[in-house]
Amino acid sequence: MKLAVVVQRYGADINGGAELHARYVAEHLARHAQVEVLSTCARDYVTWRNAYPPGVESVNGLPVRRFPVDHERDVHVFAQRSDRVFEQPHSRLDELRWIDSEGPTSTPLITHIKANRKAYDYFIFFSYRYYHAYHGAQSVADRSMLVPTAERDEAIGLSIFPPVFRSVRALMYNSPEERRMIQTATNNHDVPGVVVGIGSEIPGRPEAQRFRQKYGITGRFALYVGRIDRNKGCQELFTFFLRAVPALPVGLGLVLIGNAILPIPDHPRIRHLGFLSDEDKFDALAAADLLVMPSYYESLSMVALEAWALGRPVLANGKCEVLRGQCIRSRAGLYYDTQAEFVETLRAVADSRSLNEALGANGQRFYQHHYAWPVIEQKYLDMLERLAREDREMTKKMRREREPGWFARRRRVLPAATEVLAGLPSGPVLETTKAGKNPAHDRLRG
Amino acid sequence: MAEFNIRTDAVDVEQIMRQIRARIREKRGVDYTEQQIQELATVKLERFLDPKGVRSDLVEQFRRTRTATPEPPKYTFEDSTIYDTHRGLLRFMRRLLNPILKLLFNPNPLIHVIHTQAQINSLYAQQFRVRDELDALYYEVIHNLVLELTRLGIENKNLKMRLESLASRLDFDERRSRALEGVVQYRSGTAAAREERPRVMESAPLPVEGLSAAAAPSTPGTLGTADGTARRRRRRRRGRRGGAGHAPGAGASPGTPGTTPEAGGAAGAGTGGPAPDDAPGGGMPTAAATQGRSNGPMDNAASSVPLNIDVAERGPQRGSRVGDPDEGPDDTSDL
Repeated sequence: MKLAVVVQRYGADINGGAELHARYVAEHLARHAQVEVLSTCARDYVTWRNAYPPGVESVNGLPVRRFPVDHERDVHVFAQRSDRVFEQPHSRLDELRWIDSEGPTSTPLITHIKANRKAYDYFIFFSYRYYHAYHGAQSVADRSMLVPTAERDEAIGLSIFPPVFRSVRALMYNSPEERRMIQTATNNHDVPGVVVGIGSEIPGRPEAQRFRQKYGITGRFALYVGRIDRNKGCQELFTFFLRAVPALPVGLGLVLIGNAILPIPDHPRIRHLGFLSDEDKFDALAAADLLVMPSYYESLSMVALEAWALGRPVLANGKCEVLRGQCIRSRAGLYYDTQAEFVETLRAVADSRSLNEALGANGQRFYQHHYAWPVIEQKYLDMLERLAREDREMTKKMRREREPGWFARRRRVLPAATEVLAGLPSGPVLETTKAGKNPAHDRLRG
Repeated sequence: MAEFNIRTDAVDVEQIMRQIRARIREKRGVDYTEQQIQELATVKLERFLDPKGVRSDLVEQFRRTRTATPEPPKYTFEDSTIYDTHRGLLRFMRRLLNPILKLLFNPNPLIHVIHTQAQINSLYAQQFRVRDELDALYYEVIHNLVLELTRLGIENKNLKMRLESLASRLDFDERRSRALEGVVQYRSGTAAAREERPRVMESAPLPVEGLSAAAAPSTPGTLGTADGTARRRRRRRRGRRGGAGHAPGAGASPGTPGTTPEAGGAAGAGTGGPAPDDAPGGGMPTAAATQGRSNGPMDNAASSVPLNIDVAERGPQRGSRVGDPDEGPDDTSDL
């Protein structure tokens, strides 16, 4: 079986969520099938500037075929078009222009996919909202699997995407919340889909002491890993943390790992270490009391899964329904909505050793049951096997939705995406299993 | 914060979150949102504390503003407005040439539109003004409501604390009295009882008014025997404590049987110069006044004990020891 993994950026030095997700999946599926990666020459996700040379190169043993990007993103044009389609009634043509301005616009990539559709058994597209996934998945719909990596943002409310979600052969969701949102927005219930998520390369023995010695950190700390950005909720995290300093557990600091886009407050309890290697990151997770995830929008938090894999509890932003749902389902983390809840949950997790250990142990079990690589690989293989069986038996009837006409594309009758988004269900998806509760032993004593 | 005690590793996160939220509600009293708390935090303290911040005629003004009639338009635009001028000749010329002007174009729709627009402008201006006033009043109403609620919440909390404090003090007093009742062995008519009892009562007065009368009459010469004597002695002491320590009650003939309480009280007031509330009332000052002077500074816990008990306890002891009504310095040292 030959598979093509199609993603907007690809490289060993790219650590973006969806891109890393794609690399991990490609590398693990390569153990079971022939995998080739199709991507662009871009490295920067803001401008999509061509940085890698076009052509084929090998990344961690996998062939990666890169195609140049037609034009860089004009952020002003993109902002204007985003405003139009997200906030105002608009036309289908406006949405097509929006996705063109969003990029990474690479017509050679789409041409290659169309021309070589039979060279691959299946195409696995990552990130529905980008140009390559929208045009690529439509051009080879009968061979395409889509990993949407959809967050709860306005893009899901655009009308150009539901036909894509309905036409692909299969969908690999990251979370039950993402599946519910997409199925409600696009009415694609009949498309095979499974909640898969992503595993991580967890080292066998991370060393907390090594991290403490290397960075001179001796006390207890809560850890944040990721881009330090307002969009990731870091501003709110800083505000909550600084306001709560007098009420925080004694000696509990906040350690930040990642590139900073946001100014970091100068406070003795806050320490920024910059971008670290994977080894240091896992050492830091092992040394931390807990992981803080302040992000509002996540389709899946890999670093939360990594923390759980290492037996560390997670304190998540309750406004992010995915993280909140994961905390509840895994029983491995708490969440906060307000300043007071931030303080109390932080104190509960940091101060109560038994709670901390119980959450951590649950996290390890949750990771092993749902996100360990054998589980992830098997879900992909099962889905591929299902598609292959349908192809052999010719049981799958592909339906191609007709593209609107010239006038219909220009008619400004589509509602603002924010309105559509507001109508979608929200909140965590809680699976109500009879065996899931354990009331006799779950008693807490405050 | 109390420690969570997880018995097993099967944790119900939602249950924990419910507990945490309940705790937050307990701490705050009311489950305000962050925004509400921010708004409350920005409220001026003087508005918060000053009852004048609440306007007494708020409701009246509110009604008046709601029913206010719209003001007339600030300007009018009639069909003759465009020809108006204070110069008579010019006005005449304009009128004269008006047909020519109307030959070139029809100004009537223009005039009509501007006239209507003037009315609309006035109407909107009026509505905006009313809206602004209403908004301010709405704000004030809500603002004051929030303040009042907050104040009541704080007051409620204070009262709860005070109630708890009083309950604990009452409990303490009850236990104390029970303990003392167990200790005191009173035997009527014995010298041991006379000697022992005042000592005990000095430290812990018993709430029995008749006790002084019961204990005193048995030894007339020593203990003052008469009720009036005990009262006089008490009043003199008060007078000394309140003012100078010298020969105070002499003018009131201390120790003279039959001296009225009113006279003694007046004498005490005159010599010692205590607080004015003691002077006119005469013999039995108020409990509060007595507390303040007799044993207020010494024992707060005993401050609620009635005055007459204290007097009854101290009278026999002093009488047995000195027998002289003018033992000022000793009385003072007694305190």
